[in-house]
Amino acid sequence: MNKVSFGDTVRRAEDHRFLTGKGNYIDDITMPGQAHGVVVRSPYAHARINGFDADAARRAPGVLLVVTGADWAAQGFGPIPTKSAVKENRDGTPIAVPDRPCLAHDRVRYVGEGVAFIVAETRDQARDAAELLDVDYAPMDAVTHPVKALEPGAPQLHDGIADNLCVDWELGDAEATEAAMRAADRIVRLELHNNRVTGAPIEPRGAIASYDAGTDSYLMYQATQNIHANRNTTAEILGIEADKIRHVGPDVGGGFGAKNSVYPEPALVLHAAKTLNRPVKWVNDRAESFLSDTHGRSQYSTVELGVDDDGTFRALRTTTVGELGAYCGTVGAFTPTGGSARTQGGPYGFEAMYYSARAGFTNTAPLDPYRGAGRPEGSFQIERIVEKAARELGIDPVELRRKNLIPKERLPLKTAMGLDVDCGDFPTVFEQALAMTDRVGFQARKAASEAAGKRLGFAIAPYLECTGGMPKEHAVVTFTADGSAHLAVGSQSTGMGHETALPQILAATLGLDMARIGFTQADTDATPLGGGHGGSRGMEMGGNAVLQTAGEIIEKGRAIAAHLFETDVDKIDFEDGSFFEKDTNHIASMTEIIAASFDPERLPDGMEPGSLNTGSTFERGIISIPNGCHAAEVEVDPDTGAIAVTGFWVVDDFGTIINPMLADGQVMGGVGQGLGQALMENAVYDEASGQLVTGSLIDYALPRADDMPPMTLEYYEGAPTKKNPLGVKGAGEAGCCGAPPAIVNAVLDALDGLGVTHIEMPLTPEAVWRAIDAAGS
Amino acid sequence: MHDFNFIQPKSAAAAADALAGAEDGQYMAGGQTLIPVLKQRLAMPTDVVDLSAIPGLAGIEVSGGAVRVGAMTTHAAVAASGAVRDAVPALAHLAGLIGDPHVRNRGTLGGSIANNDPAADYPAAVLGLGATVVTESREIAADDFFTDLFETALDDGELVTRVDFPVPDAAAYVKFPNPASRYAIVGVFVSRAGGAVRVAVTGAGPCVFRQAEMEAALSAEFSAEAIAGVAIAADDLNNDLHASAEYRAHLVGVMARRAVAEIA
Ligand SMILES: Cc1cc2nc3c(=O)[nH]c(=O)nc-3n(C[C@H](O)[C@H](O)[C@H](O)COP(=O)(O)OP(=O)(O)OC[C@H]3O[C@@H](n4cnc5c(N)ncnc54)[C@H](O)[C@@H]3O)c2cc1C
Repeated sequence: MNKVSFGDTVRRAEDHRFLTGKGNYIDDITMPGQAHGVVVRSPYAHARINGFDADAARRAPGVLLVVTGADWAAQGFGPIPTKSAVKENRDGTPIAVPDRPCLAHDRVRYVGEGVAFIVAETRDQARDAAELLDVDYAPMDAVTHPVKALEPGAPQLHDGIADNLCVDWELGDAEATEAAMRAADRIVRLELHNNRVTGAPIEPRGAIASYDAGTDSYLMYQATQNIHANRNTTAEILGIEADKIRHVGPDVGGGFGAKNSVYPEPALVLHAAKTLNRPVKWVNDRAESFLSDTHGRSQYSTVELGVDDDGTFRALRTTTVGELGAYCGTVGAFTPTGGSARTQGGPYGFEAMYYSARAGFTNTAPLDPYRGAGRPEGSFQIERIVEKAARELGIDPVELRRKNLIPKERLPLKTAMGLDVDCGDFPTVFEQALAMTDRVGFQARKAASEAAGKRLGFAIAPYLECTGGMPKEHAVVTFTADGSAHLAVGSQSTGMGHETALPQILAATLGLDMARIGFTQADTDATPLGGGHGGSRGMEMGGNAVLQTAGEIIEKGRAIAAHLFETDVDKIDFEDGSFFEKDTNHIASMTEIIAASFDPERLPDGMEPGSLNTGSTFERGIISIPNGCHAAEVEVDPDTGAIAVTGFWVVDDFGTIINPMLADGQVMGGVGQGLGQALMENAVYDEASGQLVTGSLIDYALPRADDMPPMTLEYYEGAPTKKNPLGVKGAGEAGCCGAPPAIVNAVLDALDGLGVTHIEMPLTPEAVWRAIDAAGS
Repeated sequence: MHDFNFIQPKSAAAAADALAGAEDGQYMAGGQTLIPVLKQRLAMPTDVVDLSAIPGLAGIEVSGGAVRVGAMTTHAAVAASGAVRDAVPALAHLAGLIGDPHVRNRGTLGGSIANNDPAADYPAAVLGLGATVVTESREIAADDFFTDLFETALDDGELVTRVDFPVPDAAAYVKFPNPASRYAIVGVFVSRAGGAVRVAVTGAGPCVFRQAEMEAALSAEFSAEAIAGVAIAADDLNNDLHASAEYRAHLVGVMARRAVAEIA
């Protein structure tokens, strides 16, 4: 028997499948008679479409169906809606939401926007036909810069939306912040850019769907993070009942937010499958992935910190310009507004805070959440301004942070941004991280580095996080008489290891053998609802749904045990996988109770065979507040500007740790993406043509194994949250919050004395070299 | 990918014939450059002539003061070759810096130099060692081989069979890789043989080139200091997303000094 507990490093059940090429991804799924669809994408950033000539494409070999933007419009399908939680501007007027069709018919607004869907017997035939489709474009001026898009005279994207502005929003007390700023000894100011990046999941987006005319229903597999919500929205677009679609997420190769949004293609695939009465498969290639996946981040901000000469923080004000892309994505306007506002100020105390954001439309792919969805931007804003303040004030950056961390005694508190911080111990986490970094040895390492012509730098970056995503989650456990169990959940892993962690919770709670628990996720037939993946919700929502379901199973088990022992339910205890009656030798293991639950002879009145099977919906009260502290040591080669991250230390407070190895994986992956954003990743559009310049992995730099630093990870487990029964706080996005400021500030520390006060991300070697050069001249 | 005829000749002569007979033919060696452009539909040859079944095109031999590397020899084979490491360690080192293990196990010397990517590594070694490119019909000196951006002295259908690298007294290659592709943003190959010094620069310009001023300075005094004062003009250098011309000019100096310091 494979007995497990909370806190055990249980190895990933899914890895053998993944590592031996046995994963079941979209392109691995074949349906009998399947045809292949490709999206014809706009080569222009902004153009009027005068018409389509699809005759040649329709006549091309193997072609089964050509749906142009005009054909789609004629069908009268709905636009792709946005589900932004921020719906109003600061003045109470609704935010501007343009119609986003699944296929453009009269105007394209970004390179890569779909204008037609072509289905053929083979993918190559569909591609050949795509080259024959004649779209009459009249190019228009484009704008790809989020700040310039809001300026007077900029090319306008949407009729009826003035100045490309989607949302103008604020949070916090402007007057109190202004007063506290004035009262402070000084105001430290910094303008900074949070670079635009893309998730670049290893598996591109794709879907395969079949239609059953008899029941007028669909089966769709999709590489998505969010099957229930995406199914419902796609059904809304097509004007069909959601429960006519069974939507399944098979093995999904990464998402990072980019597979969370509702995209045009699934609706096209469903439509084509019904029209042709044949299964239709569509899978993006890597180039399409760069062009048509949602991108993330992209904010131009001014951050102001009111601080006294002794280092006491008084007030924080952030004024930011975010970017939506050509249309509102699924989360859309929320990311640069509410998403970035909530964790403003990090784990530090302020008298007042104020956040103000505008975000508008550009001729670029839509932006939507990318791992952290606004919080890494907030974390970067506060940690960069704190570092700058330390240098302006002549205070050790470590001391300045230590001085302003919210002490444990002040928790629980509600921040000026309305965030409910219930528990944690920021100073202890900070000291624990600092202690790992070997500050004593730093001077010797620095001297050695200098002797080799390099410069060593260090920075520490505490962060404050919050979770999010759908507030409900469902788990279903079904048993077999032999004692095995099957767990189905509506939360979803795109690689994180839920197939291990969630059965681990069930096995630990019920005392079952891990090896005898089957697992299903991301199938609308398996759970009535599900929130998928997003907002670091996997353990907080999925884990608690499993725990709650297990709790209900134990209650039913107690009733069965009481019946078997011929005693009262309240005399039955459950511990360590067994039901027993106190002060007697009556004992029955969970496995025995499962067996009994299938035997009418052994069940109490009112219980049917199989009634131990349980489905339960967990509903979140208030989101949890993960927090922690990152620290980085970097070595800069001043001759070339090249940076090596030579040390990285993390302490995270994720509350209860269910499986440390899986938590480590989340942190390392997040740090990898944070490092990527800090040092090399950059999605660049050419301002004149609106073309995506970084449209391949030859031009878009992703970090590789040899870019990763040696990492030491620890957890602070002294503050499990009471906001949920497991006591967990989300772990998925934290790495992206801490790593960019830790790395950037460490680079600036390495350059201390050269007069460099700021470098925009990504800190490419040339950017660093130029900053040194400019400061020296 | 568009459809094409796939031909796998068993001799160099048959390969040349196949290409001559094709409407728009392309040799394929490791396919590391060709296949991606086929997949992206940027190249649409009518015929692909695969060189992998031709005997004798792959292999390494050190003789007569030269390292002779067959055109179909993979980068991985050169990087791992004890003979190359003994004779010209810088050449093995360079091959080991190319791309990633997948690319190194497929990509070939012949494909690399025939393609003459401005950011490729091998052209720096070929030019920096003053190698000789051997084809079916003739021998071409390195100085004459690389003519322009993706252009070489090869005639249409001319097949590279081998490259002969003379063994120098000392050589070094220092590369500043592009973080995305790992091709060279700037790579400098320096060799010294008798009194002659060669400095070949890849990545910086449209085509690999020799840096005459550095060669002259190093011939007089072989030290990093000797070239510290050589100013590199940015005018004709590549200016793109990954690096500006000024930065590349600066890197040429840094990489060259580091290469010299390695062997001085
Ligand atoms: C991800 C990636 C990273 C890379 N990184 C680097 C790098 O860091 N540095 C670097 O230098 N290179 C790099 N390369 C290129 C790689 O090293 C190969 O050298 C290059 O792709 C060409 O070699 P090949 O054998 O694959 O040629 P192919 O792709 O098969 O052919 C290339 C061209 O050469 C022609 N050709 C091939 N062989 C001959 C011959 N014998 N005679 C005449 N013509 C011929 C073909 O017709 C074709 O036009 C990278 C490639 C990839 C895909």
